[in-house]
Amino acid sequence: MSARTHRAASPWLFLLPGLVIIAAFSLYPFISTVGTAFTDARTLTPGHWVGLRNFQDMLDDEQFWTGLRNSTLYVLLVVPCTVLLPLLLALLVQKQVPGIAFFRSSFYTPVVASVVVVALIWVWMLDDRGLVNGILGYFGTGPVEFLSDQWLLLFSAMALTVWKGLGYYMIIYLAALANVPKELHEAAAVDGAGAVRRFISITVPAVRSTMVLVGALSSVAAFKVFTEVYLMAGPTGGPAGEDTTIVMLVQRVGTGLSGRTGYASALSVVIFVVTLVLMLLVLRADRKDGE
Amino acid sequence: MSVSSGRTRGERGSSRGATRRTAVVVVPLLLSALTLTACGSGGDDAGSSADGKIEGDISFQTWNLRANYKDYFEGLAKDFEKQNPGVHVKWLDQPAENYADKLSADAAGGTLPDVVNVSPDLSYPLAKAGVIMSLDKEPAAAKFKGDYTPEAWKGNELPGLEGSYAFPWYLNTGPLFYNKTLFQKAGLDPAKPPKTYDELFADANTIAVKSGGKTATLAGTPSIEDFGRYGVPLMNADATKFTYNDAKGTELLTKYLELFKNGGLDSQALTSGPDAVGQKFLQQKVAMNPGSAHDLGTFKQNAPDLYKNLGITDAPNNTGHPNMYVMGMAVNSKSKHKAAAIAFAHFITDKQNQESFAHKVAIFPSTAGSLDQPYWTQDDGTDEGRIRVASARLLKGAVNYTPVVMTDEMKTILKNEVAKALQGKKSPQQALDDAVSQSDKLLKQS
Repeated sequence: MSARTHRAASPWLFLLPGLVIIAAFSLYPFISTVGTAFTDARTLTPGHWVGLRNFQDMLDDEQFWTGLRNSTLYVLLVVPCTVLLPLLLALLVQKQVPGIAFFRSSFYTPVVASVVVVALIWVWMLDDRGLVNGILGYFGTGPVEFLSDQWLLLFSAMALTVWKGLGYYMIIYLAALANVPKELHEAAAVDGAGAVRRFISITVPAVRSTMVLVGALSSVAAFKVFTEVYLMAGPTGGPAGEDTTIVMLVQRVGTGLSGRTGYASALSVVIFVVTLVLMLLVLRADRKDGE
Repeated sequence: MSVSSGRTRGERGSSRGATRRTAVVVVPLLLSALTLTACGSGGDDAGSSADGKIEGDISFQTWNLRANYKDYFEGLAKDFEKQNPGVHVKWLDQPAENYADKLSADAAGGTLPDVVNVSPDLSYPLAKAGVIMSLDKEPAAAKFKGDYTPEAWKGNELPGLEGSYAFPWYLNTGPLFYNKTLFQKAGLDPAKPPKTYDELFADANTIAVKSGGKTATLAGTPSIEDFGRYGVPLMNADATKFTYNDAKGTELLTKYLELFKNGGLDSQALTSGPDAVGQKFLQQKVAMNPGSAHDLGTFKQNAPDLYKNLGITDAPNNTGHPNMYVMGMAVNSKSKHKAAAIAFAHFITDKQNQESFAHKVAIFPSTAGSLDQPYWTQDDGTDEGRIRVASARLLKGAVNYTPVVMTDEMKTILKNEVAKALQGKKSPQQALDDAVSQSDKLLKQS
């Protein structure tokens, strides 16, 4: 092999393992999913071309609209919390005081804990006869139906998602905050800026690109939420399936021996398009702010 | 480099930086968004001859039996290998949860074991896809038909398909457990559990009233089997349309609605899955719970107080025919060692082995004449003996109510529509009409 060929091939050889993994586990399934979306495939039968029928069926599918509504609500309510709360938490634990490592670790613990275990603990706590209702009962408030009311159940799952993600995004913010020059804060303080003013005028602009990243990451994760709602609302998606999210619907219709993989693939394509649009919106907002 | 854009170097650098930053954010997100579901289908290898020599390596899969019966199944495999020196048997066991998903992944990937433990509703899609063998069409398997009761053999026949698709294995009626203490507290006789749905609703009302609404009797909404046991016709004769939305079906759902309103049905019944329902019974928060013989061990270990006051009865029914759960052993139609697979599936389910297994656990053999033996006809004076004899007697008229064409998705539709009726969002009639209409649509597509 000549030195020139060697030079040209080397980067590709280094990239090859990663490219093979991406091709096998991301690109091929994606292309296959798009192809299957236009068929009436079932789990055990490849199916026939049906054109846009799966997408037309979606329009008449009450569960699809329920799933789309819940996943969209998840994005609208969870993302602002996962963008702002971890930043405040990061500011809190950024300070170098004795014992701060303990608090940093504590806030990060939910990230390390298994989501299944955590969700089950929340279910026990929020049960009609669980800890939270026990405490509320002590103060004379009747049992709150966290797990049987459609909206309370969804909000409880959202709270779990936010709580579990706090530590993860906090670490990202801590890294970004470390790059904010202290002098800026000192100069602003000398000029008489208070803590809130410094937060708005110095901290936020300095970590803006990190906020965009967190926003984009959490938007995609929120729209594709599955585990928390599945574990808290049950496989049928809460009372009368009203808490079903769009990914839960994919799981429900696409799995099992008689799974409608064609329809599930069409749903997956919709999820892909929505997440893509979400990302573009976030990035566009970032660019607009930058200008 | 073109300068026609009129940008300065700094602007271009900043633009390139922005593009790079965008790429850094977009590429991983795009990849994460790309990772969506995808499914494939298995190969179409025809497999070997069923009339050939009994030899080769075969695998067989059971459904959540390793924990309690490891020695028994390892012994069975060894015995078979001893009788057939050219055969090596590999035993696989899958957990109870998501068993259907495991089967579908194996079937789609062409890795389905040679012999598989199935129930008729699991056999149906596998048989439709040609993944498991019709035993009646294969002389090497059909010759064993007389070894089993005609009902059991027929129990593995599937609508629209020819023949029986699994060697009948064990049968069970599925006991209903109840908490004697909670019955007693409500002033009910713990020795007289409800036998019909009317008695069940009456007892549930009493328990709810006496406990001030704190103790529910049931924790799950009515399933398709409940409709069957209540006497509702579930499907038309050729299994092409659901019919559980008739007057009787509406009557049952209306009674459940009353039960839900007065606290006889747990307030979280609309969201609870089987595990959550089981947990509530374990925690003594509900008075009754359907289960299986395997649950006895769990109660003994995890809830000894409950175990001491545990009552066991048959699930109530208005038809005189209890529900029967049927297990079978299907043979992979693409097995490379079909002769060995058929021989082994028959070996596990033959009279001797079925009876020996039924002596280890509270299940019932499906082989001809087995239930006429004293072990299943004569009360030996123990609690277990009394239940065994009573259940064996009931089994003779038992029916497998679960329509085999009813997929998990259709069961979810029923559960969700039932929930809408219980929430008062729809009338019971409307909810059942909608469930039937959606299920019929899916049935037509399948």
